[in-house]
Amino acid sequence: MVDAQSTLTLDDSQRWAGVYKLLDRSSLIHPEFEPVDQIKEFIKEAKILVIGAGGLGCEILKNLALSGFCNIHVIDMDTIDVSNLNRQFLFRRADVGKPKAVTAAAFINKRVQGVTVTPHYCKIQDKDEDFYQEFALVICGLDSIEARRWMNATLFGMFDPENPDTMKPLIDGGTEGFKGQARVILPGNTSCYECSMDMLSKPTGFPLCTIANTPRLPEHCIEWASVLEWPNKHGERKMDTDDPKDIQWLYETALARAKQYNIQGVTYSLTQGVVKNIIPAIASTNAIIAASCCNEALKLASTSAKYLNNYMMYSGNDSVYTYTFEHQRKDDCPVCGNAVSKMEFRGDKTLEEFMDFLKEKPDAQLKKPSFAIAGKPLYLQAPKSLEEALRPNLLKPLKDLVSSGDQITVTDSTLPFSLQVEITLV
Amino acid sequence: MDAKTQKYDRQLRLWGNNGQAALESAHILLVNASAVGCEILKNMVLPGIGQFTVVDAGQVTLDDIGSNFFLDAESLGKSRAERAYELLGELNDDVQGHWASKDILSILAEEPNYLSKFSVVIVSNVSQATARKLAYLCSKDTTFVWVKTVGLVGQVRIAIPEHVIVESHPDNVADLRIDSPFLELASYATSFNFDTEDTMEFGHIPYVAILLKYMEEWKQTHGGKIPSTYAEKNQLKANIRAGMRSPDDENFDEAINSVLRSCQATVVPSSIKELFKDEKCENLTTDSSTFWIILRAVRDFVEDSGKSSGFLPLSGTIPDMKAQTDSYVTLQSIYKGKAKQDVEDVTKNVNSILERLGRAAESITSQEIESFCKFSAFLKVICYRSLEDEYQHPKTKQIASWLADPESVFPYYVILRASDAFFEQEGRYPGEGPSDGTVWEEEDVPKLHSLVAGLLQSWGLERDAVPRDLTYEICRYGNGAIHNIASFMGGVVSQEIIKLITHQYIPMDNTFVFDGARSVSAVFSL
Ligand SMILES: [Zn+2]
Repeated sequence: MVDAQSTLTLDDSQRWAGVYKLLDRSSLIHPEFEPVDQIKEFIKEAKILVIGAGGLGCEILKNLALSGFCNIHVIDMDTIDVSNLNRQFLFRRADVGKPKAVTAAAFINKRVQGVTVTPHYCKIQDKDEDFYQEFALVICGLDSIEARRWMNATLFGMFDPENPDTMKPLIDGGTEGFKGQARVILPGNTSCYECSMDMLSKPTGFPLCTIANTPRLPEHCIEWASVLEWPNKHGERKMDTDDPKDIQWLYETALARAKQYNIQGVTYSLTQGVVKNIIPAIASTNAIIAASCCNEALKLASTSAKYLNNYMMYSGNDSVYTYTFEHQRKDDCPVCGNAVSKMEFRGDKTLEEFMDFLKEKPDAQLKKPSFAIAGKPLYLQAPKSLEEALRPNLLKPLKDLVSSGDQITVTDSTLPFSLQVEITLV
Repeated sequence: MDAKTQKYDRQLRLWGNNGQAALESAHILLVNASAVGCEILKNMVLPGIGQFTVVDAGQVTLDDIGSNFFLDAESLGKSRAERAYELLGELNDDVQGHWASKDILSILAEEPNYLSKFSVVIVSNVSQATARKLAYLCSKDTTFVWVKTVGLVGQVRIAIPEHVIVESHPDNVADLRIDSPFLELASYATSFNFDTEDTMEFGHIPYVAILLKYMEEWKQTHGGKIPSTYAEKNQLKANIRAGMRSPDDENFDEAINSVLRSCQATVVPSSIKELFKDEKCENLTTDSSTFWIILRAVRDFVEDSGKSSGFLPLSGTIPDMKAQTDSYVTLQSIYKGKAKQDVEDVTKNVNSILERLGRAAESITSQEIESFCKFSAFLKVICYRSLEDEYQHPKTKQIASWLADPESVFPYYVILRASDAFFEQEGRYPGEGPSDGTVWEEEDVPKLHSLVAGLLQSWGLERDAVPRDLTYEICRYGNGAIHNIASFMGGVVSQEIIKLITHQYIPMDNTFVFDGARSVSAVFSL
């Protein structure tokens, strides 16, 4: 299709005047930079991958397109929800239900001439290393810890120190309310996402006995409704937190329990917030973090200024505050470290208790771990036959299964790497 | 849930219906549809401000569409104000947009009061003279915002004579009164049996009751005084630990862990005492705002020690703690009951003040008084220095100390000031023009740097207090708009405007500078 618009050619040096000054002129604060024309060509041609087309993703796509990057790909498995419209500005009410990646790509392609955004409506896990190998740079704008761990580990797994082409810089952004962070991760050079798992706040959860016996907060009543009452009343049917009917049921059930205990504050909105683990999200914070990420992308790709080494925190609750620092590598990081992680655990505690400990440990946060020693399985989540055969081990004290100094290999189906734990029984 | 609540769910969790209502009654003026200006408006239209107006006399150029997402190839040659209005307006059906393809100064010549209808006036891409004029013309109820982006550097200045904050969203509003429990609280504490044989019962005594018991015992053996030194507080912790029966008594752990925070003397914070002494609190008039009227009512309450014991109204909020449902709910209602009583007393004071001022009792809502009392320990008033004060009475001592820090981003403030002077002399900004060639390097850098030196000298500072490499860098940028920086500043500025409009959270005071080359920033009170 040929239309008036696509035949219109725009003068690059005028259109990108702001960026081109940066690329054409030398700098005294960054004397290493040599302004050569190939840089502009590289920016135009380099394949950039954006992970996520949500709040951060929409901003990132816009920023990359207006930085002169013309070959952009985006992956997102989600479809558009009404609650996205307060910040995901590439979507309109009529787009609700459509795939985010496809809609966002079409919008940018129409708005910014000469830019091609290619959408991938799928999970990141659906793509293989050959796919990721094609990109010069990956920018993550995700709200899922699991997906970021996967992406981080995958890019580190692809890195071959002998072959510089396998080094894929990863720029990661994240926000929560008025706060956020942007960081630059270079395999073989900087700390990685996994190194900083302990900086995440502990997943909030309430002790089962509180929920069951001594509720005090509205949240306790909501957890009771979703964790204990739902399976009681609905059997096998899984809760769909996107279905207003299910939320309504949870809300009413929690409200009834709250009344019984004289607890105030159960609302529909709180119910939804607790069961969906909703994180407040606004346009302005997304803009700040996405812009930081893309500023770093342009600096990295063009070498026109020093890139971030390697972490910037932002907080806007009280005044405007940024803190830029070098986050340190963890020697025993299971992704980028060499050392084995050492742990002490009581020998009279069971394997199941050890498993629960790893699920809650902030820098592990495992979902469904399996355990083995020297290739011999202690417990496996799958296949079913093996799971059943090994299940009795869960109830055995650790000292009957392992000895001090043993290396336990911990794997989890959600993570593309394994954890080596040198255990000391105490 | 209605459609609007659904759409705004993720932000209502931050600023609630109150904040949203404030946004929806705001009208924002953008002077010049620059990249950064449109990014600010984007982040304001999305969360649903009431209205916006774009004033810009210019036409869309190639340079615009390369840096501004809300001007596209179709817009080339058309009115910048109109196109920005169209492309921003489509972001949210609930927002009403307006535009005028005119110069702001000519609008003001025809309509001198033009700015008074706006809650916020945002200016960008204007000369220093125009910015100062607009800042001067903003009334006491209009927030003035001047934002600049030059290459990788961004700067924003905010000014409004007085900004008051009730809901500053502190991390913890609990005010437990462990040192001086009110009657109901003291008798609650004695209702627990610390000698019970029942380990379940013992393990569920709320930590507040534990603290109250051990604090009371301490006071009895220390002449009525509470532990004040670090060593004394550790001793109190040890006393509590000695009362523990098993390491599983988490309630005792909770008590020990909150000794440092909760076992302090209850006082009126000095920042609030300062506000009490403020002339606006002292001398109320018929024009006094709600904030100062309620503040005065709170002051009168505090001074009436029969009612308040000399303390601020109780927040009435308690944290979660290990406890049986009943004892927790009872404790909660004791704090809430006292808080309610305090609100009633303050309300009486408010009403008598309103009567004295000849104003209707309903002019201040009970919700406003309640929220004021709840957050009374965290009230904040920011009086921004005016732009005129910044220019005519520079804080030279402060400036000297900022410049003494080699890591500071402050030099960019100085260089951008000098760039404004450059513009006045040359009719263009340093480094403007084609990106190749050497004119910028050979002519503009020395010219700009001598203006920097002159400015420093006028402040009584060393002429070379700003490194020449940074002046060079600003000339390198050549007043170019780089979208990432426009978008970053657009995010920061819109966030500050949201805080100012909603009167929630604490906005920066008064100048923010971002250096995108180093990814560092700072706030300066100029
Ligand atoms: Zn690592």
